[in-house]
Amino acid sequence: MNGVLNLSSSPHTRDRWTTPYIMRMVVLSLLPATVVGILVHGWQAFGIIALAIVSAVASEWVFDKVCHKPSTIWDGSAVVTGLLLGLSLGPKTPLYLPVIGSVFAIVVCKGCFGGLGKNFINPALAARCFLLISFANAMTIKPSIDAVASATPMGALKAFEQVDITKMFLGTADGVIGSSILALLIGGLLLWSLDIIHGQICFSVLIGFTLLIGLFGGEGFNPRFLLAHLCGGGVVMGAFFMATDYVTSPVSRLGQFIYGCLIGVLGGIFRLWGNTADSFSYAIIIGNVCTPLIDTYIVQKPLAYRKIGRTRRVKREPFRIPKPVIALTIIAVIAGLALSGVFFVTKDTIEEQAMLEAAAAYTSVIPGAKSLKIAEETADLLGDDGIDQGSAHINACYVGKDGDGKVLGYALSITAKGFGGNIVMALGLTPEGEVVDIAFTEISETAGLGMKATEPAFKDQFAGKSGTLTLVKGAASADNEISAISGASVTSNAVTGAVNAGLEFFRTVLKGGN
Amino acid sequence: MRNTFRGGVHPEEHKELSREARFRLYDPQGEMVFPLQQHIGKPAKPVVSKGDEVLVGQKIAEADGFVSAHIYSSCSGKVKAIEKRRVLGGGMAECIVIDNDRQFTPAADWSERDNEAKLSTDDIIQRVQDAGIVGLGGAGFPTHVKLKPKDPDAIEYVIANGAECEPYLTCNDQLMRTHAPAIVEGLELVLRLFPNAEGIICIEDNKPEAIHAMEIAASGKQRIAVRTMITKYPQGGERSLIQAVTGIDFPISKLPADVGCIVQNVGTLFAIQRAVLYHEPLFRQCFTLTGEAVLEPSNFIVRVGTSYAELLEACGGVKPGKTAVKALAGGPMMGIAMGSLDVPIQKQNNGLTLLAEDPVLMAEKQMTACLHCGRCTTVCPVGLMPQLMADAAIAGNLERYEKKLYGLECIQCGSCTVACPAKRPLMQTFKQAKAEIQEKKKREGAGQK
Repeated sequence: MNGVLNLSSSPHTRDRWTTPYIMRMVVLSLLPATVVGILVHGWQAFGIIALAIVSAVASEWVFDKVCHKPSTIWDGSAVVTGLLLGLSLGPKTPLYLPVIGSVFAIVVCKGCFGGLGKNFINPALAARCFLLISFANAMTIKPSIDAVASATPMGALKAFEQVDITKMFLGTADGVIGSSILALLIGGLLLWSLDIIHGQICFSVLIGFTLLIGLFGGEGFNPRFLLAHLCGGGVVMGAFFMATDYVTSPVSRLGQFIYGCLIGVLGGIFRLWGNTADSFSYAIIIGNVCTPLIDTYIVQKPLAYRKIGRTRRVKREPFRIPKPVIALTIIAVIAGLALSGVFFVTKDTIEEQAMLEAAAAYTSVIPGAKSLKIAEETADLLGDDGIDQGSAHINACYVGKDGDGKVLGYALSITAKGFGGNIVMALGLTPEGEVVDIAFTEISETAGLGMKATEPAFKDQFAGKSGTLTLVKGAASADNEISAISGASVTSNAVTGAVNAGLEFFRTVLKGGN
Repeated sequence: MRNTFRGGVHPEEHKELSREARFRLYDPQGEMVFPLQQHIGKPAKPVVSKGDEVLVGQKIAEADGFVSAHIYSSCSGKVKAIEKRRVLGGGMAECIVIDNDRQFTPAADWSERDNEAKLSTDDIIQRVQDAGIVGLGGAGFPTHVKLKPKDPDAIEYVIANGAECEPYLTCNDQLMRTHAPAIVEGLELVLRLFPNAEGIICIEDNKPEAIHAMEIAASGKQRIAVRTMITKYPQGGERSLIQAVTGIDFPISKLPADVGCIVQNVGTLFAIQRAVLYHEPLFRQCFTLTGEAVLEPSNFIVRVGTSYAELLEACGGVKPGKTAVKALAGGPMMGIAMGSLDVPIQKQNNGLTLLAEDPVLMAEKQMTACLHCGRCTTVCPVGLMPQLMADAAIAGNLERYEKKLYGLECIQCGSCTVACPAKRPLMQTFKQAKAEIQEKKKREGAGQK
């Protein structure tokens, strides 16, 4: 054997975890939020993130050069700082701010205190707070999605307005670039399942915050209210990516729990009683500065000193669901909830749309009406389900009034059986009981035949009519005759029947009531 | 049901290199060197002098006091010298050097089995002491001392340590596969000393064949059970095993016997069986020679006193195309880095690992500042906070290190150092801090007198 043998003290092996590995995993877990942010907010968001990262790495390189220290840019921590800062800025932030912020984070918060592992506050968060205070106006989050919306969800929450949780959850509401809760949760749970971040911290932050908001928020533990608070203002970003920063969080489990609760509770207090929407950033900073104190006094004793005697049970392999499984399950449940949320939201919108169209139809048959209300005299009779009248069904009866409260006419919603299904139409009547117009809100008759009912040639025949109408083939000769659509007798019958039912209803109920 | 302890790490095992290699009996050709200190305690005193003819299994040095052990020759030949020679760890130590005649003439044939029923407990301990048996797991503590606790009736568990959590090493695995009945007999002999004890054989779950063999050998034995352990370092450490079996953690100032446990390596139990039933003294033991740089990784029944270098030649030497950059007596976790292979194998040694790449050198290149990630705290089997300990030690705050952080409880297993993503040399810092504290205490003690 030749060559020199290396000497070293045991152990002579190392695990595959390295500092760059941890930083790579953090960047990876922030990618979903980054991608969603860029897709939602556009290219300026990309520019902000890119500038933040590039200037963070560049300032670290320059700082190391100036201080004659070996370059530390390859440990990846500057990239993480830049990315976190970029994600916590608004999408319309002027492009000089991420640069100033990154330089501040790297040089002042990290470099001046001795570099990686020596900073006492989270550099990205400190830079964000620095920008918030120094450039308050430029840092205000300007709407990029809803030009109409005046306030961000956080502003709205503070003003006790309703917010759209689903939008906040998916990240399509106005807010900072990295505000997609779904994407952040996916990343955060990935880090937790890889044992990179400590569950004690992120979950105690969330629990502390939820408890405080629930107890003192004034709405109790109303899930909608709690979710709105949890989804906004960087709570999830803070809990999973900011508060869990190794350097500025305690080491012992108990210390981490205390630290997490402190941040959660402070965040809640600032949110409820403070007057800024960025309460959570400040809460985490206060948690950061408490860390050395916690680490000094809260240390864990060795196992042998924790309990005296033989009280501990034999440690068997605990039945433990692997963390990735838990994380995937949580993500699946959340994604499922999100999808069903989207469904419900869009379902409401569809119904709302239908309602609006119907309302338009009813208004159109009472020209000049400013308000449309259920006619009170018919309300008891019709109830929610309406009544059968002749061959048709009366669903509802509205009374249209002008601005002075003068009755302009009535609008009836009538359903009749057509050839291709139900025909729902609005029948407008004058206060005297003459037909003004008819409009269809739901009709699916045969195109070119039954559908001709919607054309003026047919439907305008009803204008000014009253009494009982008769359907005739060919041209109408008498005043109460309606010329049928050739080849669509079923439709013609249904519509005429419906109008007759409405006129009859007017005579017996409305007129009779008078 | 697999048992385990808190924390620990799972370094890459590399056991596949020699896992299936059957034991080879190797008769060394060169001179044999027997250091007088191959155990914890006082060095043995030579009972031969230069020029004496010795036989295999002949006592060449005698225990000096109770905490010491006899040394037996593993070859026949003439005593060449009693002089200082380089030994494991790099230092020079008094050794008996025997000119090997390559005949290996035994002093007795050790094939006649005694009737064990006639043996008293004192007989058993006496025979263990006479055979010069020490803990073969690596520590080398004289076994007869361990077998004589203050109160034998208070011992609840005799734990047979077959965990072999050290990466690379496979000789205990092979021993359990091939000599399971003898190990169980050794355990039964020890159990006779402790009437209230239960025998627990602990094996990590990466050795299914060994578990199977031991279960067969132990089946029908009332007082013996085999338990499977999760593969995790330092599972084979005394304290980790006791924690896994009984759930008890105890401070470093206490011994296993204080909590009712006796831990014996399976190799030691095998030696006990040979010594008590066949009067065979300890002059050979199982041994793994492995590593990426070795041509033919092998498991040996090796004679004490054989040179590491010679045994490596018996494995075909260094693999062509590879350079051995590091030689470890033992495995990478607890092993001692060797500067030269021209040193003798001692009783308590159980392996040589020859690495083609130096993980420590690579780690030094990857070293960054401490991230305070807390991984070291998670893996510490004692429940210490290595990161805060390192901070205190580097800041010179030994008061906090000792009193607040319980730094002296460190068992120096190295789990924190393996797990550290910043590749900090934590354990080295702790060794130094411990030495400083002990030095300080000694000085203060001297000052008071």
